[in-house]
Amino acid sequence: MHPLDFAIVAGYLILITFVGVRLSGRVKNAKDFFLAGKSLAWWVIGLSIIGTNIGANSYVGAAGNAFNIGIAQANFEWIGAIPAMIIAALVFIPLYWKAGVYSIPEYLGLRYNPAVRVTAAVITSVVTVFAIGVALWAIALTLQTYLDWPIWVGIVVTGTVVGAYSIAGGLAAVAFTDTLQVCIMFIGGLVIVGLGISETGGFTGFAETLTRDNPNHLQAYLPADHESFPWPGVLLGLGLVLSPAYWCAGQAILQRTLGAKTQWDASAGMMFAAFGKMFIPLLVVFPGLLALVMKAQIEYPDMALPWVIKNVLPPGISGLMFIAIIAALQSTIDSGVNSTSLMITRDIRHVLIKNPKPENDLKIGRYLTLILLLLAMCTAPLVANMGGIFTFIQTILSLFQGPMLALLLLGAFTTRATPQAGLWTLISGVVISSMMLWAGMNMLYVAFYSFIYSLAALWILSFITPAHPESDLSKLTYSPWRRA
Amino acid sequence: MDLSSLPVAWANYLSIFGFLVLGVLVWLIPNTVIFTEAPDQSRWRDMRLWASVLIAMQLVLYTLFD
Repeated sequence: MHPLDFAIVAGYLILITFVGVRLSGRVKNAKDFFLAGKSLAWWVIGLSIIGTNIGANSYVGAAGNAFNIGIAQANFEWIGAIPAMIIAALVFIPLYWKAGVYSIPEYLGLRYNPAVRVTAAVITSVVTVFAIGVALWAIALTLQTYLDWPIWVGIVVTGTVVGAYSIAGGLAAVAFTDTLQVCIMFIGGLVIVGLGISETGGFTGFAETLTRDNPNHLQAYLPADHESFPWPGVLLGLGLVLSPAYWCAGQAILQRTLGAKTQWDASAGMMFAAFGKMFIPLLVVFPGLLALVMKAQIEYPDMALPWVIKNVLPPGISGLMFIAIIAALQSTIDSGVNSTSLMITRDIRHVLIKNPKPENDLKIGRYLTLILLLLAMCTAPLVANMGGIFTFIQTILSLFQGPMLALLLLGAFTTRATPQAGLWTLISGVVISSMMLWAGMNMLYVAFYSFIYSLAALWILSFITPAHPESDLSKLTYSPWRRA
Repeated sequence: MDLSSLPVAWANYLSIFGFLVLGVLVWLIPNTVIFTEAPDQSRWRDMRLWASVLIAMQLVLYTLFD
């Protein structure tokens, strides 16, 4: 490693730890730890959302996918994000604020019943632990490619650094370090774009070389018979189900909006994140295309981005980009552990234990953050043999996003959905998704069909099961046109 | 209708149509929701405008990468 790169990496680690420790002084109770004491401004929320979103499943994995399929990978940032983010900002965030909840499972618990709250929290927590494991694996892979560190060293070092500021500073530390990390990501990403374009003969030269060898790599959609990303699957599965479920019901994403100063800051933060999201393909898709144009000899696609860093960037900038990736992955891990410890502390423990003693939430939340990190460090090596990182995460999500979205939509927009119907739909929907996936169906279609099944099941079961009185639902349903 | 029988260009057309519909729907949301707890009601704080700019940018992208 060049001394300049080493200085930049060391400086970054010191800065992140310093910010985390400084913010730890502000944490006096569980509200400070989990919701940053309701103090976050819209721009911090927006940048933190991007930091949380760009992780293992977007940075290293997306560059790898772009190497394979081209600009179509950008659908995960455009049609697979922007519409849902707009809807989240204007519809769901105001709804969660009106309900006064700490988490999305808590909202589902109020709208349906405590069993739905616990089930949703358990499912989300398990998936998040896996996602954190994937992020740890991706960091370790990057460290191995760039520094020749053994995988286990990369996992332990990353877990320790993230643990230090997440346990001490809670959501505020997570959000502010995310903000810093996203700024580094954008600087590093834009430098790659600039140098990459100039090395390949300008934008025209880049596009000509790319499309000469790969004629479909500048098309937004792939043919309907494409094995992984057929366009009907992208529109129906990603656009209509996975994306709204992720952006409107994802706890790790939405937690910082619940920690906003005001409801306007919360909604504006999500909308600001959508503007940032528009430019993310420059950071995550372009390096994959660049590796292709430069005819990178790599073992598997997920190594496209580390290859670009190592072979295109000069010393100093190379170190900056290296920490940009580490930062992106760290922000996924810190948000994941913080939101999961919240769900276990409040949504599971408060429901299952008779006298949960809320005054202990802060201590328990911190212990859980540590335990979750250790758990994720153990699961990280397991994902090594599970194919592309991005596809792995999306596959797990496709199992329960359809049922969760159905519960959320019918729960938010109608008074019809009943508590028992909600619980049985959630459980049976996940079972049906698993069966479809096991039968070999594409994950995008699994998400869509499980969503359709869950809508129908929830609607029908609600006819034969008792409903909440309509008067109890006024703060839990979206009805901005109703007169007070 | 079997979507997979349509040419791939239809994916772009459907995306553009979807964005146009969303662009209309956001303007049906009342001011009371948009400006709740906002420090003031200045024009730049109207998130329907933010949404419209986002949608316009998406329309350009899906037209460009056809």
